[in-house]
Amino acid sequence: MLGTIVEYSKRWYRAVGGTETAAGGIDWETVGVHALLALSVFLLVLPVLIAAVVSTKETGIVTTPADLVPGSYAYENYRRALVDFNFDQFLLNSFVMSIVIVVGKLLLSLLAALAIVYYRIPYKDFVFLFILFTLMLPVPVRFVPLYELVVNIGWSNTLAAITIPYLASATTVFILRQHFLSISPSMVETAKLDGVGPIKFLVYVLIPMSKGVLVGVSVIMFVYAWNQYLWPLVIIDSESRQVVQVGLSLLEGEAMAGDVAWAMVMSGAILTLIPPLALLVLFRKPLLQTFTIQQK
Amino acid sequence: MSTREVFDSRREAAAFLLPTILISVVFLYYPAVRAVGLSFYNASFGRPNRFVGLENFLRLVTSSDYHSSVLITVLFAVIVLVGVMAFSLFVTFLIHEVDVGQSVYLVSAIWPYALPPAVAGLVFLFLAHPTLGILTHYVELLFGIDVNWFSNGRQAFVVVAVAAIWKQVGYNVIFMIAAMNNIPDSLTETARLDGVGRVNRLLRVYVPLMTPTLFFLVIMNTIYAFFQTFAFVDLMTGGGPSGATNILIYDLYRSAFQFYDFGLASAKSVVLFVVVGALMYVQFRVSDKYTHFGG
Repeated sequence: MLGTIVEYSKRWYRAVGGTETAAGGIDWETVGVHALLALSVFLLVLPVLIAAVVSTKETGIVTTPADLVPGSYAYENYRRALVDFNFDQFLLNSFVMSIVIVVGKLLLSLLAALAIVYYRIPYKDFVFLFILFTLMLPVPVRFVPLYELVVNIGWSNTLAAITIPYLASATTVFILRQHFLSISPSMVETAKLDGVGPIKFLVYVLIPMSKGVLVGVSVIMFVYAWNQYLWPLVIIDSESRQVVQVGLSLLEGEAMAGDVAWAMVMSGAILTLIPPLALLVLFRKPLLQTFTIQQK
Repeated sequence: MSTREVFDSRREAAAFLLPTILISVVFLYYPAVRAVGLSFYNASFGRPNRFVGLENFLRLVTSSDYHSSVLITVLFAVIVLVGVMAFSLFVTFLIHEVDVGQSVYLVSAIWPYALPPAVAGLVFLFLAHPTLGILTHYVELLFGIDVNWFSNGRQAFVVVAVAAIWKQVGYNVIFMIAAMNNIPDSLTETARLDGVGRVNRLLRVYVPLMTPTLFFLVIMNTIYAFFQTFAFVDLMTGGGPSGATNILIYDLYRSAFQFYDFGLASAKSVVLFVVVGALMYVQFRVSDKYTHFGG
């Protein structure tokens, strides 16, 4: 398909008389690349654009492009989603969960990576592999026993249930380890000679030297935590403790039953999308850099 | 031995590692091992367990519903994998080729990384709604087919797959653009001077050089299709119509929390563990091979 598209755009380009790098003239090939690219990203954004427009309308029935004119119900829809359908509470619950997970994972992983990189300890490779191996154990692989365990501890419907099981992070320990290994050994040697202890070295040297990576992994962890759906669905059954992803499915149920307009559901969807999207746009540079470390 | 290892208090190191190890043991290793144990029992919440040996696995081997769930999952993974990688490679190449506006294009291509699966599923459910959806309207107009994926299994499968592909494009572009930008400019110049066209440059020069990244993405996208698409199915189809979108993870959820058959659900967990284990093993072996080639 790719070949066909490019072949046709080439034919079209020859037909309109473009030349390879005609000095001074219009470079039609570049125009073509931009047109294809703009079309592709437009397709990616379009569903969310439509959702945003629909969230400003009264009913949300869209059958022709003429229906895609923004309506005047934006304030009403978002107010109702937040107040009448508890999205204020859902969003708050998701924020608290995500922030506890990000801070907890960061703290635990920094300490673990510090021990793995800067300490002379036996069985170090085994310890590192033991942490890495948890990548093979996503929630579905330990679903039922995890549920029984958390219920038996008495954590049903608590913040602990949707945060503490997430705090060990193979990915974060791995990324931090790789990053620490890229910092010159002379840093720690100097610190040691100056009598600086490991915690001070972590706080005053490593963390300031790792700002970009720490921001990057924080965004990765936040998006991961924010988007959790399956585990909160089974372990939280009190609506006031529920996270926003599952809150969306409650709203969807009302729309499918015909009790709520789809415009309302779309405002709920936009509210759920904004926090992770804002973080991605704001911190895209450290995020992209951190991903290149992960793949090594 | 690296000269970085300047601290030698074993007690401190153990204290730093303890929180991560403790949570790994309690909430990751213990439940995983217990899932294997439970898979040999007839068990439910609050009900005494009865050892049944391999009965749960035999039920899986002989269940035609489970067979079709396996088949659907594999097909789903292949379609998501091919769809997302073809589209992402195309977009990444175009971004690589433009000089103006690159960063704006890049953000508009990677943003679905932040898209929650529940939001993606819900927006697609609305756009493709059999009676209300604008997408439905145009698909019916253009292709002359009757869109009714609330009752047509094949259509439901396609709608869920498209939504799942949409969400995963961002992640793929992030890795592909990094790999493509790593290709030396001199190679691109040589190809240009030799009169290699754009398409051939992508397929014959860039793709082979990006193989390690593309392979990594094959594994990650397969894991995504198997494990992270639960919200799509739960919100869009509930596994139906008549099992057409009943992928393994959704099937497992239903065994555990609709039928409370914890033993059978654990057997299904064990099957999924074998899948993720095999994928990770292949990933480690192959990336190992490439590091040796790369020197």
